[in-house]
Amino acid sequence: MKKYLVATTLLGASLAAHADAPGGPGCGWGNLLFEGQSGLGVHLMATITNGTSGNATFGMTSGTNGCDVSGSLSYNGTSMLAMNGVLEEVAHDMAAGQGEALTALSVSMGIAPEHRTHFNQLMHSHFNSIFPRQDVTAEQVMAEIVEVMRGDDTMAGYLS
Amino acid sequence: MSVLVRQFRRLWFAGLLAMAWPFVANASGADPATLAKLPRWQALMHVNHGATWRDVGESYVDDDAFFLSPQGKRSPLAELKASIRAMREPGSPARCRFPARFRFIAEQLGWPDAGRGLAHCADYLQFRSELATGQLVLIFPTAYLNSPSSMFGHTLLRLDPEPDPDSTWLSHAINFGANINLQDNSLQYMWRGLAGGYPGQFSIVPYAEKIQEYSRVENRDIWEYPLNLTPDELDWLARHLWALRDINFDYYFLDENCSFRLLELIDVARPEANLLRGWRFAEVPVKTVRALYRAGLVADARFRPSKATELARLSESLSSSERSLARQLLRDPSLAGQPAFQTLAPARQHRVARTAYQALRMDHREGERDTDVATRSLALLRLMQQTPAGAMAQSPPPAPPEAGHDTQTLTMAAGVAHGAAYGEFGYRLSYHDPLDRARGFLPGTGIQGLDLRLRWADGESLALERLHAVNIRSLTPWTTFDRPISWFVAGGLEQRLVDTNDDELMPLLEGGPGASWRWGSLVPYVFGVARLENPSTSRAQFDVGAGAEAGALFYGAGLQVGLTTRWLEFDGGRQRRRSSLTANLPLSRNTALRAACSHERTGGEQANDCSLSLRFFLD
Repeated sequence: MKKYLVATTLLGASLAAHADAPGGPGCGWGNLLFEGQSGLGVHLMATITNGTSGNATFGMTSGTNGCDVSGSLSYNGTSMLAMNGVLEEVAHDMAAGQGEALTALSVSMGIAPEHRTHFNQLMHSHFNSIFPRQDVTAEQVMAEIVEVMRGDDTMAGYLS
Repeated sequence: MSVLVRQFRRLWFAGLLAMAWPFVANASGADPATLAKLPRWQALMHVNHGATWRDVGESYVDDDAFFLSPQGKRSPLAELKASIRAMREPGSPARCRFPARFRFIAEQLGWPDAGRGLAHCADYLQFRSELATGQLVLIFPTAYLNSPSSMFGHTLLRLDPEPDPDSTWLSHAINFGANINLQDNSLQYMWRGLAGGYPGQFSIVPYAEKIQEYSRVENRDIWEYPLNLTPDELDWLARHLWALRDINFDYYFLDENCSFRLLELIDVARPEANLLRGWRFAEVPVKTVRALYRAGLVADARFRPSKATELARLSESLSSSERSLARQLLRDPSLAGQPAFQTLAPARQHRVARTAYQALRMDHREGERDTDVATRSLALLRLMQQTPAGAMAQSPPPAPPEAGHDTQTLTMAAGVAHGAAYGEFGYRLSYHDPLDRARGFLPGTGIQGLDLRLRWADGESLALERLHAVNIRSLTPWTTFDRPISWFVAGGLEQRLVDTNDDELMPLLEGGPGASWRWGSLVPYVFGVARLENPSTSRAQFDVGAGAEAGALFYGAGLQVGLTTRWLEFDGGRQRRRSSLTANLPLSRNTALRAACSHERTGGEQANDCSLSLRFFLD
């Protein structure tokens, strides 16, 4: 129930205050679909050592992609999509009709287990409107997901 | 009747005793000297009980900020007394910094406000409310394709909101890692890692980020082991984690590494499991997994394939014509309009499109975003969306890493070389060569550290036959979609035939790039070889050699066979040719029989060496 409330408030907020990207600028909200993984070499070096590459994190002080999450460990649908690479995973799952990333998105949005299959089908059938171009941003994708849900009797309940 | 009454009375007494026991225990335990010896306090202090050789009896924590007493690092008792003093006052800041210590002290001393004593700790309470503690899972990203130095793997922990959650992407990962300097190169890293030059810290990051990192960027399969710790035990862990933020531990690659630190953390949750009693050298993740199994903590093992494994499985489910269609499609998705694609059954179309998409994404993991690639990617996703997925059969998971052989090796060999019989003793600290039983390992990869062989030849004294510091080999087969570079590197001392018809112990360093293929159970390969060696003890000069190696590995049901031949020419015109045939027969998980024959020719001299050895794996 709490998750549901959090998700809907955040979705509402992101629609109302369109310009105000959650987490502040440069935290992935403007990420394009199929964003490259830059600096992979450096990254590999860091992971061979299992090291945290420069930005040691402990929840309270940082979040995903350097987003300011104001001391919060919590997730929601929006920050999930802004995470590096997740947008691409979600696109794949929506095209396929199911998958872990899509499940994660629906769970983070508080969609009840009995409605998740329906959610998956809805996203699958609206793939072309959710991902209309190769350079769509995470923010645009989220807005369109909300739009699609708004037009669906079952899913609209999660937005009110 | 009277028997019943007596039994009832006995039961009643037992019950009374059981009820009174906590008070008795409290009363006797209230003495700080006794309390400081309790396993939980020792775990909270990270006391070294002799699991590693540095500073036995002291805390592993290398950070003054963790201790309230100046003697804290060396004396758990002094730290307990200081903590009791600092926490006695309700509203004290020390309670908020060390909530697990507070719980321990308040419970043991029977402080009346044990339950409400942290009400003033707003930051901690927020952290605690957001950190779900339904289930703890050990996460083991296994070897990195084509990077055997990751064959040791990495381990981290995951906290789930409840057992078996709907989505683990929303869980938190607890990682222990070195804070490395990205300006350092690999050698500096190796050195500083071994010598403890990097401070390590715990961090908490979204698990979804770790999935991206391991499955997608690094192509490492992940094994997940849910542990059977209770929510109350996990409360200890969560409270303690809070006290460890920004706290430094020295990071040592061999023993006090990521895996070891996780054991320290689990020790806080369940000290009775005694995870850190006993010597733990060369702590590698698979040993951590085994230790947790032995302690009865592991409830299950689950496999999460990497993107590369997913692609390999998809690709294997296609016919060879479908595979080449997928390869054409990823270059030009508009070919989907052609009959070759259109005549496929819809479910096959989906599978071909999906393979093409995943291969295209795999190709472009690195580098900047590319508009052309993105356009093709979206076109392939559209194609997937338009064709029905059908039933996608799940391939069974491979054998888990803990099913593999143990990490250290002892060998006893008997053989004949230069026409004389010899006996040989060998010890290898780690870990696996490409001919060892492949179950639980990536076939074609080998990583060996500290490989020692001592030989008694007939009529000669005991001699060092080989001491390799490192010997790494990585055969990554070419596929329809990818042509990875295989490579090898080795360095150390070894006896080699010189042109005086005798062996000479010489230092060497060699390596080179190559390619390999996979045809069923057979893995053929070729390598270019560069080698530095000093064949003469009388002059301190290395000869530079170059050449080539070709060979094949065969992975049968109960047998591994390797055939290899190598040709090298050194700068003075000296040549060396060497061929060998080795067969390895595993007798059990931790024993094997190995037969090997080699022929070597240098200058005008040649030598044969054949041996039979028994291999025992331990620890």
